[in-house]
Amino acid sequence: MFTHIWKKEIQGELYTWKSMLWLVIASLLFSFTSYLLLTNKELSLLDQTELLWLLGKIIVGVALLILTIDASSIINVEFERETAESLFLSPVSLRDFILGKLLASITLWAAVFLVSIPYIIVTSAGSHLAWAFIGYIALLGMLGVVGFVFLIFGISLLYRSSKNTITTSLIILLAFATPALFTSALKNDVVSQVFSKINPIDNIFNSLDNVLVDYKISVIENWQFLLPLVIFCAITFLFLFLSAKRFTQQGIIRND
Amino acid sequence: MIRPMKKTFLLSVLLLCVSFVTRAHAAEAPPLSMQILSSKTLSGTAGDYVTVEGQIMNTGLQAVNDLTTYLSLVDTQNKLPVDLEDWSAEKGLYIGTIDAHQALPLNWKIHFVKAGTYSLIIVAEAAGYEIPQASTITKFNVSPKRNLNPRQVLPVALGTPIILIFILFLVTYKRRVEE
Amino acid sequence: MDGLNLHIKKSEFFGFLGPNGAGKTTTIRMITGILTPDHGTIRIDGHPLEDKQKIASVIGVIPESRGFYEWMTAVEYLGFFADLYGIAGKEKEERINLLLAEVDLIKRKNSRIGTYSRGMRQRLGLARALINNPQILFLDEPTLGLDPQGQEDIQLLLKKLNAKGVTVFLSSHLLNEVSNLCSRIGIINNGTLVAEGTIHELQEKTKLKDKTLTDIFLHLTHKSS
Repeated sequence: MFTHIWKKEIQGELYTWKSMLWLVIASLLFSFTSYLLLTNKELSLLDQTELLWLLGKIIVGVALLILTIDASSIINVEFERETAESLFLSPVSLRDFILGKLLASITLWAAVFLVSIPYIIVTSAGSHLAWAFIGYIALLGMLGVVGFVFLIFGISLLYRSSKNTITTSLIILLAFATPALFTSALKNDVVSQVFSKINPIDNIFNSLDNVLVDYKISVIENWQFLLPLVIFCAITFLFLFLSAKRFTQQGIIRND
Repeated sequence: MIRPMKKTFLLSVLLLCVSFVTRAHAAEAPPLSMQILSSKTLSGTAGDYVTVEGQIMNTGLQAVNDLTTYLSLVDTQNKLPVDLEDWSAEKGLYIGTIDAHQALPLNWKIHFVKAGTYSLIIVAEAAGYEIPQASTITKFNVSPKRNLNPRQVLPVALGTPIILIFILFLVTYKRRVEE
Repeated sequence: MDGLNLHIKKSEFFGFLGPNGAGKTTTIRMITGILTPDHGTIRIDGHPLEDKQKIASVIGVIPESRGFYEWMTAVEYLGFFADLYGIAGKEKEERINLLLAEVDLIKRKNSRIGTYSRGMRQRLGLARALINNPQILFLDEPTLGLDPQGQEDIQLLLKKLNAKGVTVFLSSHLLNEVSNLCSRIGIINNGTLVAEGTIHELQEKTKLKDKTLTDIFLHLTHKSS
C-alpha cells in the first residue's frame, strides 16, 4: 500500500522542475565548494583529508536543509490541497501514508547523495579515502535525514500547517547546526560539551573528521558518534508515533 | 689597628674587581650552546606540520636564569625574514633556569606554509646578559604542495550542474508537452 | 451532533437534507471514519468502523473536500486509487475505461486534471467513488457545479446503480433532486435529526398533506431552529 503512495510522491513531487531545481542548486554549491577548496590560496594548503572533511560537511548540511524544507510540506500539502480526505477514505492507513512519504523523503536524500558522488570521487583522488567517504556520507547522511524527517513529520501532524511546520523545522535545524560550526575551542564549558555529544549534526561532523582526518574507518571506531545518531532517530520516531496517535484521536479532518 | 684596616681595604678592592668581572660578563652572551637535532629530517612539503627538535646546553660554570629561546626564520630564496605568525603558534619557549652543564630539549611545532628554501636559527636570551646567544644556521627546503590540480575538478564542477540543468529543462518541456 | 440515530436499509436510496451548518457533512465524515464521534456506535454492513479495511472496501464516497492531484491525468488518478484498492492488471484498465465512459470523461482521459472544469472534476470524483465497485455510496453534494444536463446524467447513473442494489446515502441542497431520487429522507437541523421517512410519512408527520418537500423542509427547519 505504502509503495503506491511512494510512487505517487516520486511522480508528483520529486519528478518535477521544483525538485530538479533543488538538485541543480545542490550541485552548484558542491561545484563552488570543491573548486574553491582547490584554488583558494589558503584553503588549498590544507591537507587533502581536511578538504574532504569540509566538503563532507557541506554535502550533509545542504542535504539536511533541502530535506527539512521538503519534509515540512510533504504531509500537510495533502490537507491543504484537500486530497487527504479521498486518500484516507481508501484502504490507506496512517501508517502506510507516513511510510510512503518517508520513503519519498529518503528518495530525495538519495538523489542529493548521488549528485555528490562525482565530487567525492574527484576530490578524494589519490587519497584512498573515496569509498570510506562515500560509505560514511551515505550512512551518516541517512541517519541524520531519517531522524530529522521523523521529527518534522511529527511536527507536521501536530501543526497541520506547512507554513508553521517549515518555520519550526528550520529553527530546530538552525539550533542544531549553529553550535556544530563552532570550533572545539569555543565548546569548553560543560553544557556545550554535553550538547555536542547529543547533537546529531555534531556527531555527523565529528564522525567524518574521525574517518577522513584520523583515518578511523571501521564502524566500531565510530560507535561513539553513531550511537547518539541512532538514539536521536529512536527519540524522534517516538515523537512521531505520539503525534500520529494524537492525530488519529483528533480525526483525519479536524471538525473546527 | 692599621692591619684590620688594610684587610678591609684589600677586601673592598677585591669585591670591586669581582663586580667589574661580573659587569664584563654582562656584556657577553649567555654561555649556551644550541643545536637542531632534527636538521636532517626537517625538509618537507607545504602544508606539513613538523616538530623541530633541538637541544640547549649551558656550557658555563653558573646557572643561567630567566632563559627564553626564540625561533627565527629567513626565506633565503627571496632574501626576506619570515613572519612566524602562520608558521608556529609558539615562537618563544620559556626555559627558566638551566644549571651549569645541563642540557635541555627544545621542541617547536611548525607548519610549512609556503614552499621555498629557508634558514632556521635559534636565539636564546637570559637575565643578566645584554646580547643573546645564537645557534648555528640550519637550512631546509619546503617543497610545493602536491595538490589536486583544479583542472581535474573542473569537468565535474561544471559538468554535473550542466547535466542536471539539461534534465531539468527536459522534465519541464515534457510536462508542458503533455499538458 | 446531538443524539443522531440513523438506520439505512440495504439498497435504499436515502436522502439527507439540512440547512447550511446543520451537520450533514459531519454526519457523513463520522459514518465514513474521517471524524471520530465522541460517543455512539457506527456499523456499516454489519462491520464496526474500526474494521477500516473492510469498511473501505464496501463504501465509495464523494467527500466535501474536492481536491485532486492536478498533475495526474484521469487515467493515472483512477489508476492510483485502483492500486490502493488492490485492483490490478486487465481488470484495472477495463474498470477505469468503463467508469470514464459512464461519467463522460473518456475523451479527456489523458488530459491533466489541472485542465479540467469544475463539472469534469465532479464527474471524476464520482468515478473515483465507484472504482472499487462499492455496495454503499456516500455522496456529499454530487451534482454541485454541474449544469442541468450534467445533473441529469449523474442522477440517471445513481438510479441505475441503486437499481442494481447499491445503497445510496445522498446529502444535497437540491430538494427536487432528493425528492426525485430518494425513497426515504432524513432532515437534520442544528445537529439533530428532526424528521425521517418517505415524503408521504413526512407529510403526515408535519400535517402538510399535498405540500412539496420544500414546504416540509422549511417548516421543519424553521420550527426546530
